[in-house]
Amino acid sequence: MCSATSETQLTRHDDVAVGEARSLPSNGRLSRQRVAHTVVLLGAIAAFGGVAAQLLSLGMTPRPVMALAAAEPIATSYSRPDIIDRNGRLLATDLEAPSLFADPAMVLDRDEVVEKLATVLPELNQADLRHQLLDKNRRFVWIARGLSPAVAQRVHNLGLPGLAFRGELRRAYPAGMLAGHVLGAVNIDNKGVSGIEKYIDDDVGVDAVHSARLSTRAPVRLSLDIGVQHALEDELDTAISRFHTTGAAGLVLDIKTGEVLASASFPRVDPGRPSGQPDTAVLDKISASTFELGSVFKTLTIAMALDEGIAKPSSMYDVRTPLQAGRYTISDFHSAGRPLSVAEIFTHSSNVGTGMLALQAGPQRMKGFLDKLGLLGSMKTETGAISAPQLPRAWERAELITTSYGHGIAVAPLQFAAASASLFNGHGRLVPTFLRTDGAAHDRQIVVTAETSRQMARLFRSNVIDQDGTGERADVVGYRVGGKTGTADLAGSGGYKAKSVISSFLAAFPMDAPRYMTFVLLFEPNGTAETGGQRTASTNAAPVTARLITRIAPQLGVVPVLIAATQ
Amino acid sequence: MRLLNLTAICFAITSALMLYGLSYETRRLEAEVQSKERTAQKTRNDIAVLKAERSHLARPERIDPLARHLGLLPPKPEQFTAPSSLAVLPGEIGAEIRADLAASRSR
Repeated sequence: MCSATSETQLTRHDDVAVGEARSLPSNGRLSRQRVAHTVVLLGAIAAFGGVAAQLLSLGMTPRPVMALAAAEPIATSYSRPDIIDRNGRLLATDLEAPSLFADPAMVLDRDEVVEKLATVLPELNQADLRHQLLDKNRRFVWIARGLSPAVAQRVHNLGLPGLAFRGELRRAYPAGMLAGHVLGAVNIDNKGVSGIEKYIDDDVGVDAVHSARLSTRAPVRLSLDIGVQHALEDELDTAISRFHTTGAAGLVLDIKTGEVLASASFPRVDPGRPSGQPDTAVLDKISASTFELGSVFKTLTIAMALDEGIAKPSSMYDVRTPLQAGRYTISDFHSAGRPLSVAEIFTHSSNVGTGMLALQAGPQRMKGFLDKLGLLGSMKTETGAISAPQLPRAWERAELITTSYGHGIAVAPLQFAAASASLFNGHGRLVPTFLRTDGAAHDRQIVVTAETSRQMARLFRSNVIDQDGTGERADVVGYRVGGKTGTADLAGSGGYKAKSVISSFLAAFPMDAPRYMTFVLLFEPNGTAETGGQRTASTNAAPVTARLITRIAPQLGVVPVLIAATQ
Repeated sequence: MRLLNLTAICFAITSALMLYGLSYETRRLEAEVQSKERTAQKTRNDIAVLKAERSHLARPERIDPLARHLGLLPPKPEQFTAPSSLAVLPGEIGAEIRADLAASRSR
């Protein structure tokens, strides 16, 4: 009992003590508690503040660009804008293609890999790959790039460890070999090495990429028209087999804007399979080669005579006596046997006549006129520099006479066609371009008077419609074709080749308001039954031009005169 | 004081949860963006392939012999005619041509 009481008392006492402590805390204990609270609170605030600051700083700093270590050693390739023709049809584009690479550190059996791969990729350089896989420090070795999906699947099916694929951009040319010379080519890294492709690298811009990311740049719109280009290539191809030529070339030019609507050179090149090595056999005959063009050059001589006021179309010249120049005698292929007017000198294609006109003008005026047309200087287009003209060393009597009919001076066909088109365009010197210009005529230097243009147009037309004109077979009913033939001896090593000629036809249509110019060249054509054994331009290049114009005039929106008259 | 502490703890836990949720959501969105970007790029590449295939099928080198096989030829000059000579056609076509001609004359 007693113990129980004392226990209760004790408890009570305790209660009192606690109660005392709570109700009457001493001043010292209270302040210590407050300090503790404040410290804890400050600590918490500091901690939260730290977290907040860290969050803020994380939010403020720009996110570092994620870069895969694996991407580092891989060579960059380039994504390129598409190339389209003047009407928006696709000529070149980038496509994703799988490329195969190996990680030598992961390759288990080198020989097995090389041998099995060779069954799928026959062109693989086995010794080279074996050597590259030997270096276990390397983590990346290209095996084959730009595979087709089917081949990639077969490689995948081999199930070899250490091999993997990467998507890479590859250039594709959906139109095949069409306009191959103009388009040029790209290398294995998708970088342009020639033609328009090189122009894109130099002037338009490409983007370096690590993956198969397509370009977002606007497509490059060319002046070419796929339809016209195909008609030209098809007709030249037919001409090659018809006249057994060793080559052919041609172009279609817009006289008003200088746009090249089509440009072809045979043998053609495949832009999708560049040979890598410059091959003279497949050089672009239109802009990368120069030729002595022969009688087509008389166009310029006659224009010079008319424009310089040396002669009128009706002025008469006695062309019966051959011209002497040093040890050479210049005579006509078919002598007319009577004096000829300037117009007849053109339609008869008289060497003596043009020689007399050039002599009358003198070297200064002849040279000055050719220079004014841009024929003596260098010329550049988007596909690169046009092969520089080869000019006579001195402009003496002999050179003056031969130049007047297109010998002793070699120019690129594109440069010649541009100079000739300048005679008709009424704006002045024409600068050829491979890009669509939307008809924006910039300031040009006036080269010939409007009167000369009209006279030349009349001469061109009469050479096709006159009985004794050389361009008779170039006529197409309704399209008012005019033109000039040229049959030039082909220069070989150490002089001219026997019986080898370049036959060409320079034409413009419609002649009442010249808009388009065509220039067709056939290299070393042979006489056939169709041409009566002849190899002159009037029998081969002229009819090819007629077929070409029949096909392209409707595409270019030229209204045949049968209808134009009724409107 | 106790209320303050409790509130602070609650706040801390809530914000921690929210922060965790946010970072989780961000990661998920990032993954989604990446997958969308991959799809977009793949689609773009597919479109490029289809465009190239269409151009390859429409290349003149292929169409030309097919058209000739069907007996088609490039138009001859005599196959063209002036719009005015078609204005006499009866029905809707003739009316349309007459309207076009009138419009071109008034211009």
